[in-house]
Amino acid sequence: MITASAAFIIVLELGSVVVGGWFLSSYLLSVYSTRKTRLDRIFGPIERSIYYLGGVNPYEEMGWKAYLRAILALNVVEAAIGFVILLIQGSLPLNPMHAPDMSWSLSLNTALSFSSNTDLQHYNGGTALSYLSQMAVIQFLQFTSAATGLCVAIAIFRGLTGKTKGLGNFYVDYTRTIVRVLVPLSGVAALILIFLGVPQSLSGYSVFKTLELGGSEVVKSGPIASLVSIMQLGTNGGGYFGANAANPLTNPSQITNLFELALMMLIPTSLPFLFGRMLGRMKEGRTLIVASYALYIIDIFIAFIPITQIGEGMEVRFGAASSVFWTVTTTAFTTGSVNASLSAFNPLIILAALFGMIIQATPGGIGVGAMYMLMYIIMTVFIVGLMAGRTPEYLGTKINAGDVKLAIVAFLSHPVIILVPTVITFAIGAQAAVGLGTNSISFTQILYEYTSAAANNGSDFLGSAGNTVYFNVSTGIVMWLGRFIPIAVMLAIAGSMVQRKRYASEALRTDTLTFTAVLVVAIFILAVLTFFPFLAIGPILSYLEGFKNGF
Amino acid sequence: MKKSNSLTVPLRIAVISLVVCGLLFPGVVTGIAQLAMPVQANGSLISFHNTTIGSSLIAQDFNYSGFFQPRNDSASGLDPDITVQNATVQAARIHNVTGIPMAYLEGIIKENTKYTLFFFGSTYVNVLDLNLILAQHFPLIYNRYIV
Amino acid sequence: MDSEAHFAVTKFKTSKPKLYKLAILKDSVRRLSPTVLYKNVVMFIVEICFVIVAVMAIDPSLIPEVSSSTDVSFYIEVAVILLLTVWFSTLSDSIAEAQIKNTASTLRKIEKEVPARKIVSQDRREIAEVTSKQLKKGDLLLIKKGEIVPIDCEVLEGIAMVDESLLTGESVNVRKSVGTTVLGGSLITSDSIIARVSVNPSETFLNRLIKLVESSSRPKTPNERAVSILLAGFTAIFSIIIISILALGVILKLGLDLSVLIALYVSLLPTTIGALLPAIGISGINRMSEKRIIIKSGKAIEAAGDTDSLLLDKTGTITRGTRTATEFIPLGKHTMRDVGEAAFMSSWDDDTPEGKSMVELAYQEGFVPHEFAVIERVKFEEFSASTRKSGANLQEPSDFFLPKGGKGLLQHKRIRRKYDPDSKEDEIDIIKGAPDAIKLATKTVPLNYDNIVDEAAKTGDTIMAIAEGGEIIGLIRLRDEVKPGIKSRIAAIKNMGIKPVMITGDIEATASSISREVGIDDYVSRAKPETKYDLVKKEQARGRIVAMIGDGTNDAPALAASDVGIAMASGTEPAKEAANMVDLESNPAKIIDVVMMGKQILMTRGAVTTFSIANDVAKYFVIVPVMFTAVALSSLSKLNLLHLTPHVAVLSALIFNALIIPFLIPLALRGAEFKPQSAMRIFLKNVFVYGLGGVILPFAGIAAIAFVIVHFGVI
Repeated sequence: MITASAAFIIVLELGSVVVGGWFLSSYLLSVYSTRKTRLDRIFGPIERSIYYLGGVNPYEEMGWKAYLRAILALNVVEAAIGFVILLIQGSLPLNPMHAPDMSWSLSLNTALSFSSNTDLQHYNGGTALSYLSQMAVIQFLQFTSAATGLCVAIAIFRGLTGKTKGLGNFYVDYTRTIVRVLVPLSGVAALILIFLGVPQSLSGYSVFKTLELGGSEVVKSGPIASLVSIMQLGTNGGGYFGANAANPLTNPSQITNLFELALMMLIPTSLPFLFGRMLGRMKEGRTLIVASYALYIIDIFIAFIPITQIGEGMEVRFGAASSVFWTVTTTAFTTGSVNASLSAFNPLIILAALFGMIIQATPGGIGVGAMYMLMYIIMTVFIVGLMAGRTPEYLGTKINAGDVKLAIVAFLSHPVIILVPTVITFAIGAQAAVGLGTNSISFTQILYEYTSAAANNGSDFLGSAGNTVYFNVSTGIVMWLGRFIPIAVMLAIAGSMVQRKRYASEALRTDTLTFTAVLVVAIFILAVLTFFPFLAIGPILSYLEGFKNGF
Repeated sequence: MKKSNSLTVPLRIAVISLVVCGLLFPGVVTGIAQLAMPVQANGSLISFHNTTIGSSLIAQDFNYSGFFQPRNDSASGLDPDITVQNATVQAARIHNVTGIPMAYLEGIIKENTKYTLFFFGSTYVNVLDLNLILAQHFPLIYNRYIV
Repeated sequence: MDSEAHFAVTKFKTSKPKLYKLAILKDSVRRLSPTVLYKNVVMFIVEICFVIVAVMAIDPSLIPEVSSSTDVSFYIEVAVILLLTVWFSTLSDSIAEAQIKNTASTLRKIEKEVPARKIVSQDRREIAEVTSKQLKKGDLLLIKKGEIVPIDCEVLEGIAMVDESLLTGESVNVRKSVGTTVLGGSLITSDSIIARVSVNPSETFLNRLIKLVESSSRPKTPNERAVSILLAGFTAIFSIIIISILALGVILKLGLDLSVLIALYVSLLPTTIGALLPAIGISGINRMSEKRIIIKSGKAIEAAGDTDSLLLDKTGTITRGTRTATEFIPLGKHTMRDVGEAAFMSSWDDDTPEGKSMVELAYQEGFVPHEFAVIERVKFEEFSASTRKSGANLQEPSDFFLPKGGKGLLQHKRIRRKYDPDSKEDEIDIIKGAPDAIKLATKTVPLNYDNIVDEAAKTGDTIMAIAEGGEIIGLIRLRDEVKPGIKSRIAAIKNMGIKPVMITGDIEATASSISREVGIDDYVSRAKPETKYDLVKKEQARGRIVAMIGDGTNDAPALAASDVGIAMASGTEPAKEAANMVDLESNPAKIIDVVMMGKQILMTRGAVTTFSIANDVAKYFVIVPVMFTAVALSSLSKLNLLHLTPHVAVLSALIFNALIIPFLIPLALRGAEFKPQSAMRIFLKNVFVYGLGGVILPFAGIAAIAFVIVHFGVI
């Protein structure tokens, strides 16, 4: 049940984010076009020096293969840097609390996790990481993975709009994303968070005698605000502490709670508008934003079906409604930061969370959410578009057998990389190592683990209990496959479309609300078709068996 | 047109990113925060009788049954707040232990009540806030138990 | 000779094949063989499933983990339904193939062996009687009135009227002159010609076309290929799902029965579209063939459906191509009757369509001179392009008849002569033709003649002047008449979002008037032969898909450049080679049908695909709740919306899944209903019918089948 007051806050939040996203999209348009702006005077020299130091030729135009190669090369190198730092953090500087070296499998998992924008954490950040790791691994990869996601979206937008020769230059897009978008925005966001009470220091944890005689507490301060800002803005979700955004130091109040929610929603919300602007047809962007928000709102409604009351696993200052809203949002935008323990929730809320991660476009993570929505549009246009009596077209290009094949591969990869490891886990009994059995609750948790990994979400039930070689390696592989297979496939589609002939008229108008409605139903059916049996023996069964919050 | 060297460019760009995003960015933000907002940047520490007694953001343990006590089950384990309902239940206990009138206890609970959705939603109180008021106003009862 | 001729004019008609005759049944059973079926992935998998369940039926204890049922009859029932599902699919293929073979054989009848007169000597005196099969390319033939043209040939000498009804089904005589092609199988109805054989018998145009139609190795159209890929994708997804459920079912001990799982698998597979996809494509080509349109490339069918711009020749497509008199305009003191009677008399011997139409109009208006029967028509001067006029010289009979009430010109003359016997006007000269030509040839020109003529021509009509006895008495308005029904078809085209463009060699005024009359916004007047090509290119450069129809050699480049080029069978060889479709009826207006049929094929494919996928929702809700029979999982039965027992649920879903195929075979064969509407409206309607209907219908259908099973104990 959704109360009027909760509905009001949710509508207010969504409304402000949509308005903010609309304004941001106008700025993003200038970032990713070659036209000159006043900001060039500030950013231009920084970018040019990065190109110079990096050995980048900014005038090189890339096809989809070159773009993809550059993405993969950079991400491999960055993940490798993160892996090495974690592996030897004990003997590196900026380690005032003497965090020990991480095991190889946990280092691998963490490096793959943060470089793929997943931020699945099989460790407790408050104790397992040094300051250097928090900054030079966690925060560094949160920036780069967010930048990668945004670049992918831009390249795909360019391909589909077909106004350029190639997909752009990845290194230029990446540099401009970091210099003009992510660093300034998360800088401002970090300062606002600090103002609202989130700590930011490098002076180590301090121990204080508390009010009651004999009591003491550790205030685990650190570079928290700078991390939280990019973690939300880049839809990363990997928290500074194990408790993530439930920890009062990362999310001290109701206001920071709503602000952090807005941060994670901002860029994914602005991208459909950016797409419309790049096309010069805002209505095409409207289709994306309306469809993704419609799915998101359906998701919210599912999560609010059961009555949730404040209880174990939830923070009192947020209340039940905000906790449920956050849990839906963090999965709908595949961020994965949590402000309450997932075990606190009714199975239907977990079902709603799974929906977000199954669809991945509700509106989904930074860059990739829009990418998945375009994948669904291509599939839907093809399936239903024939019924308009014409070869299906999207944005004036005919959808051919090659596009269908690639879109199917992208769509198919998701269930494969979720179901195969889930089955293997139970087949070899690996769930027992994390204290799980074979009932619907256990099944839900394992299904959730791999769904979250595949969707690059990062929220999970296992937490640091998942720190076993099996789960570290298997989720690590799933995270990278879940990240880069769809990216590669969608870049291929964009690359083949960029130079394809554009036809003037379209039979099936994709910029209409009619099509948007069909799209929403189609996405829902496609997701239901794929995952229904597994949801049935997982959260749905738990719900029907009467579990209120039995996880 | 010269092509970006596909071998060294990723390495160089990665190192530049590491420096910019992983070191410069948090460093600069920390610098600004420490200069402009030192209180918040260092964890919103609070004092009692000129002694720093920790952060106002996180829960403190209270064992004496005359104090309001925080929840020990929550998502973060550091939840500084309790629901008004919980506080009212505890008020009865405090009244029994300390003899502080129920009306007073209910009064400070009401004065310190906050809402989860600004002016709506469920109601809660901060445990430390209440205990500080108690310690301040009833030194005879609490002085033995505090720093 | 007569008997052949009689045979030849037997009306050409496609007889519907008897859909369930033995040969078709045999063929459909033959297609069940895995060696044939493997090409259809979805159906091949269903057949494999049949084998697995059949094995379970033989020995249920073979795989004890997943065969919970002790009831062998259940496995037998599932196996039978699975086999039926596959058979329904092969049956639809067989029917479609039988249809197209039938059409092809009917087309082939056109090419019967017929006698031919081959000219063997240089001086063309010596003639050998041979048959059409003995002819070679280059042979000279003499074909006389009443004979059948033995093979495609080019007219070298003579003009003849030719009846092509055997080829086209329409009994219209076409005039063939030197240089034109006459098709084998057509009938010479007047005169005789000498013609040169243009092909060898085995490679006649028709022969090659028919081979295309019935070729079993028909390549898939681009769209059909894309749908196949989509189906393969869905098959892959469901395979992964089913294998995962199987594994989890065994590991987590969910009480799974393999046959139930297979039933779910087969229900989820896009069997409906998988079964009907080949038939939809074949029957589409068949429908085109039945309309005498032969598709040379599969791509063209889809391009036809995608057409944005339709280039239409004014003459022949929009108008009849002949000018028809519509109005007599008197000048000076003359009346309409004067003009009408003069036109009637001067045109009586005029065989041109214009002349005939004047007679017709005058007759309709009652402007027939009373004593016309006795007037002696002395001479008739045919229309000549150089003088741009024709004329008639009439003479009255010597014996005098009393007037009987005629009021026209003749009457006046007669009366005048009666009282003025010295008059030398015993002859009446009537000339008619282009207004300026007539002006030059006459003595008396009415006031303001030029202005009146210009005014009259403003509507785009052709104006003729008529003069009698050296005096211009009036004008005749002639109009190239718009074909009946063309206006509504143009409107239909525009409704579908297609832009018609009219091309004509006429002057601007004529072009604009005709295009306005039929509702075309874009036209090109004073077009030269190369204009068409330029126009095709121009439209394509604007990102449009262009369809056109053409017949002359001049049209070949444009036909080749256009996305959909339809050549007339009566057209020249280069045009037919360049086009990607050929219309045997040579009816230019049929391009509109081609577009509609193209759309219909695409639409049918999309509709069945959507329906097939939408069906899965219901099947999930019927089977999944009863699939995991382990006690702990009984909670899922709350999702069992139809409250069916596991066996009934599975069998009902499977039977529905199988029966929907034959239920939709007629749809696949005749195509989804198509009304020319805007694409979005068509889309919306189909989304409701096949999308929403596809979600709801199976619930109802499965419930109904379950009702029958439970209450009548059918199984």
